[in-house]
Amino acid sequence: MSTTTAETTAPAPARRPRRHDPAKLGLNLFGIAVFGFLFLPILVIVGYSFNTGRLLGAWKGFGFDAYQSAVDNPVMIDAVITSLVAGVLASLVATVLGTIGGVALARAGAKARWAALLTALLALTLITPEIIDGISILPWLVTLGTDVGIGPVNNGMVRLVIVHTSLAIAVVTFIVRARMQGMDDQVEEAAADLYATPWNRFRQITLPQAGPGIFAGALLAFTLSMDNTIVASFVQVPGYTPWPVYVLGSLKTGLRPEIAALSTVMLLLTLVALTVVWLVLRRSGDDNAAVARTFTGG
Amino acid sequence: MSATTQTPDAPASAPVTRTRRRSRRPGGGSGWLSLPVWFWLVFFILTPLALVFWYSFGYKPDLFTSVATDAPSFDRYREVTDPVFMSTFWDTLRIAAIGTTLCAVIGVPFAYWMGVKVDPRWRPLLLALVLVPFWTNFLVRTLGWQIILSPEGFLSHGLQKVGILSGPLDVLYTSAAVQLGVVYNYLPLMILPLYVVFERLDPAQREASRDLGAGRWRTFGAVTLPSALPGIAAGALLVFIPLMGDYLTASVLGGSRGTMVGQMIARQFNTAQDWALGSAMAFTLMAFVLLTVVVVGLVFLAVRALLRRARHLDLEGAR
Repeated sequence: MSTTTAETTAPAPARRPRRHDPAKLGLNLFGIAVFGFLFLPILVIVGYSFNTGRLLGAWKGFGFDAYQSAVDNPVMIDAVITSLVAGVLASLVATVLGTIGGVALARAGAKARWAALLTALLALTLITPEIIDGISILPWLVTLGTDVGIGPVNNGMVRLVIVHTSLAIAVVTFIVRARMQGMDDQVEEAAADLYATPWNRFRQITLPQAGPGIFAGALLAFTLSMDNTIVASFVQVPGYTPWPVYVLGSLKTGLRPEIAALSTVMLLLTLVALTVVWLVLRRSGDDNAAVARTFTGG
Repeated sequence: MSATTQTPDAPASAPVTRTRRRSRRPGGGSGWLSLPVWFWLVFFILTPLALVFWYSFGYKPDLFTSVATDAPSFDRYREVTDPVFMSTFWDTLRIAAIGTTLCAVIGVPFAYWMGVKVDPRWRPLLLALVLVPFWTNFLVRTLGWQIILSPEGFLSHGLQKVGILSGPLDVLYTSAAVQLGVVYNYLPLMILPLYVVFERLDPAQREASRDLGAGRWRTFGAVTLPSALPGIAAGALLVFIPLMGDYLTASVLGGSRGTMVGQMIARQFNTAQDWALGSAMAFTLMAFVLLTVVVVGLVFLAVRALLRRARHLDLEGAR
């Protein structure tokens, strides 16, 4: 320690900022405090997942009982699996729709009236409070399923995929559009001149260009789906209860430490998955800042 | 995830599209590409909204029927403007306005710290840390606060032991708890757009301001903050809009005392089974949100114009 500081301090004084800068110190402390605020309830949930008591909030002792009984609870495991499957399917549908929508919007001329209207409609879906999405889609699905007789919309998984796709479609479209707008379309014109079919142009030129945007959109769509509680609670069908709706239901019947235990496992899995994605993106040549932009949807 | 979305039936559809006439400009007419999105939006978003809008002019005919629309009227909207319901709207608006303000008050210095002051090497890591709460389930995070604020919880016991509190902590199931919860839940939505704005600022501008003799506060107020205005406006909308419709935070932390509009609407559909009244409430909420978007937009334009003038005058004075 002492030898390294001796080495590093030698050339530094000229560049080093003032050590005792109260404003900078205050800002640093503030930043750390905000991080503390952001992480406090998450750490509490992780901590209380080791509660051996019967109720989540009443601490009794330390142990792994909750993890054991969570794994042994088929209803809870089913809820998590339902959430995961709905998340994957909904992000797939939303990504396909949003990608072609985003590409279409990015290519639309400045005067295309349909593009302005579509943008306004998508913006409308973004500013509609979730509760309104929930109450409006339920009567419509009931109408379609019962009165019109379209059987599949009575299926709980189909319903979840429909509502989660609706929530994510605007996000994916806007991200892909933003990504595509900066792109040079001369490459594609060149491909067209070289007799590439529209599909091949799309697959070999447009898709790779839009890649990071599509990926960010898919990631966000999956997150939105996994997190969605309100709309899902309206359309859910017994047997297809997603995880957040299960937690919402247990608010009334009594929260147990198993919920904290499964939440902790899911958080860990999310962090592992995101780290892997981060590393893959890093290896594919993006620098940290570019990866960060991908993650935040830029 | 992206790999799977890029591959569907590639070989199968190639021969079909080959027969399409080759256009010289690929960007020519791209409208047809947007048809699937149109279909989805019209079929799964617009139609349901229109249906519920139609319901809002209906009424509840009897105990076992949730809605009837044979005699359209504005009666439900008149009912919504009843002081009993309106007070919930104003409470929600107050919680949302205070929540958005607090998020900005915390978010601006925090995003400034992250995007300007912190060593660029650490920024992606800090950004990832800000996103972690995002990837934790919304409801579960709120449950964490329920444990913290509980009168029998560790915080309550600790504060009593130290002597700050004489009785158990009495915050849970009040509107203060809801206020705290919404600030917590929506803070990342304020930080992210602000961070993006601060991070893209050119440090040369601030250096120039300092070189010209402005102190650090003046530099922040006259150079940095005005450039961050679009981020503040974006963050304010990102926080305010979902907050107005939020009913989870209020359900977990507010109990019966912290009712918000979202809960009121849900109750009409889930328990009271009065879809007409619930729909009218929903569209009143929508009007509140749209009005706010317009007002925020106007305020943003006005503040920007004022700042431009102020800066312009400053420059004149300096000359």
